[in-house]
Amino acid sequence: MTTTDIPAPAARKPAATAAPKRRLKRESQGPAWVFLSPWVLGAIVLTLLPMAVSLYLSFTDYDLFSPPRWVGLRNYVQMFTEDPRYWRSVLTTLTYVVIAVPLQLALALVVALALKPMRRGKGFYRSAFYAPSLLGASMSIALVWRAVFNDGGTVDNLLGTGGWVNKPGWALLAVALLTVWQFGAPMVIFLAGLQQIPGELYEAAAVDGAGKWRQFLSVTVPMLSPVLFFNLVLQTIQAFQVFTPAFAIGAGKGGPADSTLVYTLYLYDRGFVASHMGYASAMAWVLLIVIGGVTAVLFRTSRSWVFYASEGDR
Amino acid sequence: MPGHRTKGFCASAAALVLCAMLAGCGGSGESVGGGKVVLRYTWWGNPDRAERTEQAVALFEKQHPNIQVQTSFSAYEAYKQKLATQAAGGDAPDVMQLDYRQIDQYASGGVLLDLAEQKAVLRTDEIEAGLLATGRLDDAQYAIPQGRGTETVAYDVKAWKASGVPLPGRSWTWSEWADAMRALAEKTGKPGATDPGWSEDCFEVWLRGQGKSLYTEDGGLGFTADDLTRWWTFTDALRREGVVSPAEQTTQLDGSVENTPLGRGEALSDSNWDAPASGFLALIPSGVALAPMPSGEDGTPGQYFKPSMFLGVGAGTGHPKEAAQLVDFLINDEQAAKILGATRGIPVNESIREETEPQLKDFDKTIADYQSSLEGSLKNPPQAPPSGDNALQATFQRDYDQVSYERMSPREAAENYVTEAKAELRS
Repeated sequence: MTTTDIPAPAARKPAATAAPKRRLKRESQGPAWVFLSPWVLGAIVLTLLPMAVSLYLSFTDYDLFSPPRWVGLRNYVQMFTEDPRYWRSVLTTLTYVVIAVPLQLALALVVALALKPMRRGKGFYRSAFYAPSLLGASMSIALVWRAVFNDGGTVDNLLGTGGWVNKPGWALLAVALLTVWQFGAPMVIFLAGLQQIPGELYEAAAVDGAGKWRQFLSVTVPMLSPVLFFNLVLQTIQAFQVFTPAFAIGAGKGGPADSTLVYTLYLYDRGFVASHMGYASAMAWVLLIVIGGVTAVLFRTSRSWVFYASEGDR
Repeated sequence: MPGHRTKGFCASAAALVLCAMLAGCGGSGESVGGGKVVLRYTWWGNPDRAERTEQAVALFEKQHPNIQVQTSFSAYEAYKQKLATQAAGGDAPDVMQLDYRQIDQYASGGVLLDLAEQKAVLRTDEIEAGLLATGRLDDAQYAIPQGRGTETVAYDVKAWKASGVPLPGRSWTWSEWADAMRALAEKTGKPGATDPGWSEDCFEVWLRGQGKSLYTEDGGLGFTADDLTRWWTFTDALRREGVVSPAEQTTQLDGSVENTPLGRGEALSDSNWDAPASGFLALIPSGVALAPMPSGEDGTPGQYFKPSMFLGVGAGTGHPKEAAQLVDFLINDEQAAKILGATRGIPVNESIREETEPQLKDFDKTIADYQSSLEGSLKNPPQAPPSGDNALQATFQRDYDQVSYERMSPREAAENYVTEAKAELRS
């Protein structure tokens, strides 16, 4: 997706030696399937089957103990018309996505731009900025984060703002900042993208009298737009599914006063705390459809702002 | 390419071995342990309880060399969710600790074994009939109560004495309690207590003090939005005055003593069940004492003796007899009782209770003395809460959060709660 010129030379080679390739392919199919079998089985047993069951459960009332009872669309109707906390969780999630994703991508891009020309200590800085992404998904870091933003915690001591995690107006920001802090993955992808931009383009722009800012807007941004798009889609999908930081920072309850009650947390609450597995399944399917819809919209808008280098050739 | 085939073959073989290993992992673990019967025993609690439980289990294994017990524990909330998932997947542990709130759901869901069938190894004749009946449902003994507990106001004795406010006596009403908290807050500059508005248990005590109850006999709601509005108006006013803990503190409560304002050194008292109150000692080494819960204005007591927790056996266990033996040991064995002390409440076996009570030490003795001071003065416990109650406990806390953060009036929040509770109890 990021570059289009690499596959071209690779595609030329096999054409010359087409006959031996076919023979080789048949020979290696057996081992390939043996190797694949754990994953194929895993995909069926651990993904497709549970999905089918969950779809069925979403039309039932199921409390984990007695057998599921078919209720048709009642879960969906209840969700959309009778449950104010459902809409609260939707609003909280959207707020979170709108805060966290742009902040995270902006920070990732800024750090990638700063690291690109660096010669000494490159490896160190890249590792240092990437480390939070490796650690960040863990519960322990989320708990540390909670302690840092708690009253009497580091942030309180430095800024004297009191504990963020105990203020309904601030707690969601603390959750978002934990995500923003884990900008390592998009940063690495940005770095790779930046290195693909041919230096001649900058030289040409400089000759034409473009300053650093102009070069960024007219060369970097268009050349980087496929990578930017990729990161945007990926991070948005992830943001919709945020759970761990909200769970830890909201003390498992979406607190204080439901201010960190993101969608997946409410889903978990309905399913595992209140034992309404049917309702939780229905919520999960709505989430899947919404994420699919948002991704489709992003792809549609991408036509007007994502620029692929190969387009010039056609 | 002769080498290619060999390589492919080796790789296939390796992959097959890997599959076989993965499949092997999924097998039943019941036969491990050198031919011994292996029982899984899970419970919730704190490290103090863990240490004593491990000692008791070690003694059981010594007495029954053919049985091996694997224990695991976690905090209450996490335990509840994990057990529900295990039970739903048909993987309930052989022996499990259960809460009053879980009995109805688990028994009617077919998760628990009828322990009356194991009479030969599990004696129940020394448990008070009324208490034993709390584990019955539809004429089957699904669970055995393991201890007796009651609610209490635990307080930091040293700080309270230093403030000059008179120590709580043998009884007080809610308004006397509020006055004492107000005096404490004035003298020490710290809130006197955890905001009780957050706790469904405290609300129940308050409600019973007025002759009402949380649930009606047929499992409906036993109070109205007006009752709840009055309770939350009362607690919310105390919070605004700074007499009880602020919202930022209250919202951090999660059932562990470490996260209570008293445990964090931010308040002078806390309302809790008496058995977990032992955990305060590690946090307040200068001493914790227990006072009764406030009663209604006419002196009607609201608190009651409750089976603090139960032991149940999984319906799918492969070793019902051995599991029942473990339950019998934990409840009826004298040495086990000595080791366990009052960590799960005062023992239910009456002769053991009489025998061990004088030998209890430290905080176990405090709890025993506290319970005997209430003996005879409390009303009967309510019947086991209906299934929906499990979720309502959390709903109660959430709705009060809206009050204490001043996002809703007590009236609005109370009406919210009643609506949701009715829906929950209907389904």
